[in-house]
Amino acid sequence: MTTPARFDELIHPSTRLSIVALLASADWTDFAFVRDRLGLSDSALSKQFGTLEEAGYIAIERPVTGRRRRVRVRLTDAGATAFEGHVAALRAVIASAEAPPARR
Amino acid sequence: MPQDIGDTEAQLALDSIEQRRRQVIAEIDMPRWYWWGLAAGWVGLGILADLDHPWLTLAVTLGFGAAHASIASRVLSGRRRSRQLSVRADVVDPHIPALVIGFLLVMVAATVALALAADADGARHPSIMASVVVAIVVLLCGPALMAAVRRRLERRVVA
Repeated sequence: MTTPARFDELIHPSTRLSIVALLASADWTDFAFVRDRLGLSDSALSKQFGTLEEAGYIAIERPVTGRRRRVRVRLTDAGATAFEGHVAALRAVIASAEAPPARR
Repeated sequence: MPQDIGDTEAQLALDSIEQRRRQVIAEIDMPRWYWWGLAAGWVGLGILADLDHPWLTLAVTLGFGAAHASIASRVLSGRRRSRQLSVRADVVDPHIPALVIGFLLVMVAATVALALAADADGARHPSIMASVVVAIVVLLCGPALMAAVRRRLERRVVA
């Protein structure tokens, strides 16, 4: 089923869009993976994660493997739906710009 | 629908999404230890074969095959190269396991053919010779095969 186009103000800012786009292609990612790909500081990324988690778009887990404490992040179903809707909305904007003007 | 963003901004956003998807695709691979382990096992089996203990060689070969089957079920999909992420199943190529297994079968055939040729040529350690050559091919061509798969997937990316 195609997700209906819905522009999402929360996802659209470039940093959050990049985060969600990375998470959308993975089952989960490590905090460090997102941080390194986006070139963000720990605190800047934590802030963005906080916003997305509060909206219910991502889930943050902290499994303990060996002595290391890891932070794993994944997109929730709500986050995936919002992302797909946002991509559809972006495509719709481009499609409407490319469509020939209607005749009078 | 947003009325306040233009097509240029929308296109930039889609480009950014494609770029991030490519960054995840770049992670599709087998762990490096997989190829090294495979090459080391190959050489080990070659050495055993030249020691002329057929039952021992058979037992170790079966053990190696079983160990590989158990490891392969976790790594052959290419989704878990590192501990940093697990790539979504619908992002990777579902044919990767078949491709790798096919590659390994060709390598087995090449090892047998090389060993027979070396033996016919009077080499003292034909199995070792053949296995070392094929182990090097596995180390070089295995990662190259995965790189080709990634390039193919990257070409398909459209946000």
